Amino acid sequence: MKGPPAPKAKFSNLTEALAAAALSDYGVTFVNMREEEQHLPWSEAYQRARRAASALMTLGVRAGDRVAIILPTAPSFIDAFFGVLLAGAIPVPLYPPVRLGRLDEYYAATARMISLVGARLAITDARLRRLLGKAIEASRPEMGCYTAESLLVDGAQAEALPHQLCLIQFSSGSTVDPKPVALSQENLVAQCAILNAHINASATSREVGVSWLPLYHDMGLIGCLLSAVYYPAPLVLIPPENFLARPALWLRAISRHRGTASASPSFGYSLCNHRIRDEELDGVDLSCWRIALNGAEPVSVQAMRTFARRFGRWGFKAQALTPGYGLAEATLAVSYSAPERPVQALSVDPLELAREGKVRSGSFEIASVGMPVAGVEVEVRGEPGESLPDCRVGRIFMRGPSVMAGYFGNPSATARAVVAGWLDTGDLGFIHRGELYVCGRAKDLVIIRGANHQPQEFEACLDPLEGVRKGCVVALGFTPEAADGEQLLILAERSAIGAPPDLEERIRKAVLDGTGVRAHTVRILEPGTLPRTSSGKMRRGEALRRFLAAELRPPQPVNVVRLAGRLVQSALAYAKIELGHES
Amino acid sequence: MAPSSQQVIDEIRRIARQELELECPVDAGDELIRDLQLDSLGLTILAVGLEDRFRIKLTEEDSARVSTVADLANLVARRAAEERA
Repeated sequence: MKGPPAPKAKFSNLTEALAAAALSDYGVTFVNMREEEQHLPWSEAYQRARRAASALMTLGVRAGDRVAIILPTAPSFIDAFFGVLLAGAIPVPLYPPVRLGRLDEYYAATARMISLVGARLAITDARLRRLLGKAIEASRPEMGCYTAESLLVDGAQAEALPHQLCLIQFSSGSTVDPKPVALSQENLVAQCAILNAHINASATSREVGVSWLPLYHDMGLIGCLLSAVYYPAPLVLIPPENFLARPALWLRAISRHRGTASASPSFGYSLCNHRIRDEELDGVDLSCWRIALNGAEPVSVQAMRTFARRFGRWGFKAQALTPGYGLAEATLAVSYSAPERPVQALSVDPLELAREGKVRSGSFEIASVGMPVAGVEVEVRGEPGESLPDCRVGRIFMRGPSVMAGYFGNPSATARAVVAGWLDTGDLGFIHRGELYVCGRAKDLVIIRGANHQPQEFEACLDPLEGVRKGCVVALGFTPEAADGEQLLILAERSAIGAPPDLEERIRKAVLDGTGVRAHTVRILEPGTLPRTSSGKMRRGEALRRFLAAELRPPQPVNVVRLAGRLVQSALAYAKIELGHES
Repeated sequence: MAPSSQQVIDEIRRIARQELELECPVDAGDELIRDLQLDSLGLTILAVGLEDRFRIKLTEEDSARVSTVADLANLVARRAAEERA
């Protein structure tokens, strides 16, 4: 199935887009916890970026160098990101540490990502710089670590020298196997043109973007910041940690700035459902909000419905909710539902879906993520690679102008992911009446609150745990019925010599302690229950399928023998007791 | 005037009850992660909530020094006193 023809991009690279935005009257506004605002016109952002670029070149940054950017949502991020771009180097945005979070894992993951892309320099701010010492020490970027502020000291402004490779984004940030997705200028401008076409299709006035999404993540960086520069449009940014602490900031900013387009993963909508108090929305009017994109994690029909019902009182229009589907390897978007139409959901039988890969009607609602975006083609394929008919579950493949240039420095992983221009998304889904439904994942990935996690992160925490059979644990993402989004599922085999009675509780604590993520469901299994490959490796996808299909059973023959053994033991025990009584 | 540790503990209890919807009682000796089972979202809500209420900045380095509710309360009270000094 094919989207409309690809729109022609207005620019050949992002630096041209920024130069054009600088001629507009718009800019980016930062909102803090107290709703104090700081405005940076695109014209000023451009000048500052040229100063940063000049400073970077003076320092010795060369075309094609990778530069790690570790900054919060603040003007310094804009300075650093565009400064690096204008200098012809490649920005690599990495996530800053979480307050009160676990630092050791953070250092390890950050050092790993810096090393993996061979960053020559890291840019941060004065506060984070003191803290990043350990990560910098472990990864040793050749030119060291600078603050964004120090790059603006010199007044000279560089001319843009755009490099063909534009950006490296990590699809997940962990110590295990993080994948640096390299995107070209063509990928980026094509994606911005696609998003513009989608949003513009129904626009009657100038768009205003509002976002709380992190800038180190595709949806916040490309979908919001770069899109607004390309358009150009005014953009309002709320630091993600402020949104998490006070979700009302988001809706209040939309109302205050008459925001028309704003995106979030499902969990952001459900956070609003749970944590905004009515009185926080006094005087708020959300009727301006035309497109409320929902993507980056499985779309929860439940959360969207509750959101529309709850915030309708403040003028929110249910048809603004626009589920979409995308991934970092596709730059961002693959499909979006048509703007300004009610959410389309299909009720399917989850057992039939998991067992047979067939769509029959039932009680589990899946949201349509719409039709391919402009210039994108989507195909659902079966195991041997044949294209599947409607209503059959298979692997989702896509091709289009924004399929990544490749995984940076990893041609073999790129060759596995992209074959003849087709990207294997690793996601499972089906097509129904010309629309895509995503219903699972064949790749090993757990998406919690929009953040991608490798299952090994969770599994490694359970390795030293007494009572768990070594190596016989799988961590999976699943969407429980009536839940607000994807949740963590742990399937663990107990050790053959027995397990403590509170093993489930211990597993929960170990996972939370090690990763900061809470498990939704922990299932303790008999030894040998989890499916394995012939070489003994865990088959995560198959384990999830069996769990959902209620087919997770211990190996039958072993079980009978063991049961017989237990009966004998128990009979012996009784016999002993009776003997004891007699004696 | 800078808040006392007890006032900070009261605010932590309020955030735990109202914002984090924790049903269990919160004791000064409870560990944030082990006992209250706060995940990264919960920790962020708590940290930003305290910063906002007491007008202080918690740095990322602080996490190394904080494991219990009392540790956090003492740190916030100390920081608030410093900032007001």
